[in-house]
Amino acid sequence: MSASVKSEIRAFIVENFLFGDESQVPADETSLIETDLVDSTGILEMVLFLEERFAISVADAEIVPDNFDSVARLMTFVNGKRAAAGLALAEG
Amino acid sequence: MAPEDVPAIASMFQRILRKDRHAPSPALTAYLTRLFLDPPNRDPHIASLVHLRADGSVSGFMGVLPMPMVFEGRRLQAAIGGSFMVEGYEDDPYAGARLLRAFQNGPQDLSLTETANDVSTAMWRKLRGVILPDYSLEWLRVIRPAAFTVEMAAKAVGAARLVSPLARPVDALIRRAAPHAGWAHLPATALRGKVLPSADADDETSATLFQRFVQSHRLRPDWPEAELQRMIAESGRKANYGGMVRRQVSSRSGTPVGMFLYYGDRARIGRVIQILALPGQEGAVIDSMLADACERGLVALRGRTQPALLDAMLGRRFAFVHAASSIVHARDQSLIEPFRTGQAFFNGFAGESWSRLLGDRFD
Repeated sequence: MSASVKSEIRAFIVENFLFGDESQVPADETSLIETDLVDSTGILEMVLFLEERFAISVADAEIVPDNFDSVARLMTFVNGKRAAAGLALAEG
Repeated sequence: MAPEDVPAIASMFQRILRKDRHAPSPALTAYLTRLFLDPPNRDPHIASLVHLRADGSVSGFMGVLPMPMVFEGRRLQAAIGGSFMVEGYEDDPYAGARLLRAFQNGPQDLSLTETANDVSTAMWRKLRGVILPDYSLEWLRVIRPAAFTVEMAAKAVGAARLVSPLARPVDALIRRAAPHAGWAHLPATALRGKVLPSADADDETSATLFQRFVQSHRLRPDWPEAELQRMIAESGRKANYGGMVRRQVSSRSGTPVGMFLYYGDRARIGRVIQILALPGQEGAVIDSMLADACERGLVALRGRTQPALLDAMLGRRFAFVHAASSIVHARDQSLIEPFRTGQAFFNGFAGESWSRLLGDRFD
């Protein structure tokens, strides 16, 4: 994978939730819920993005803040899914 | 969804959807139990969904009603999602997303809703649901404008009905000044004697007419007779909407050409749940329905659009607004096409509008 998981997730957040404003990119550990960046609608957009971009399958029960509430958690989640599926780990 | 979840679901339904702080009545709880645990067209693989907190308590619900359908000879299973609600958003902002996704990931060929609000519509859209504008408009035909205005005001402030006697002479004046149908009024004399005759339709006749008139749609419900009979029987009670008016419309030679079903009382706004018509007879059936409502003294009729009716409505001075969305989702994209082209029978009885949850009281 040419680009890192983190940078792709960040780019997706900028494009879809920040209207392209890169100055507002959240820090790795910043809560996407508490900063009102991702709500119940946005999370569905995020799930579809992860499934399509990283070729993973997200179970309904996995759509929880522990997996989705920050860039760092998203990265950990994606890498974990890819490792479980035997896919190459992307760079952090 | 399990029987033990029903009290919590009833409580949420009362608070969130009916906006009533009183405890749900035993009648409401009983109806929710029957509707969602033993629905018409029951399918053992399609069930209503609950969202549970970590402690096992219910925090969300998606009521699911199975509906068998047929598309060019191919039998399909559809599931209609409604009564979608979640509480405690702050505790778990993703609960609604999980519920809706779980519903769409069910075994059905088609996932449908006809009652999606703005938030729900946005969520469906993100999950690649297709919003259907031609099925998502609320239509309105004003009959007596002054009384209609009073009724609209009374929905916000009930005391507004105290001035309704003043509306009658105003409407009479308008009728005299403009005896023909206009955008904002429809005198009974404008239609009297000019429309096809209609007659009350009993449950059995209605079932026959439903089965007959949906045949012209490429994608349509495939109701088993007994299940349709149950839906028709349950649709008889919508106390908040008023008395039921269900009439068969016939040609001059006596051949049935359509049917309409609405609820409403004199001096009130009637709610139309279903209009059925043979292809080409939609306008005649609509005229017959409007004439019936005029004669009964209703101040307006409102209902939900179906593409097959839109063309006929355009020339008859209907107003249209968007209130809730009708949406379809399918893994097989070829099943979306008949909805996009208006060739699917959807909304009303092919939805959840027939149930007592919409329009009835459970005192």
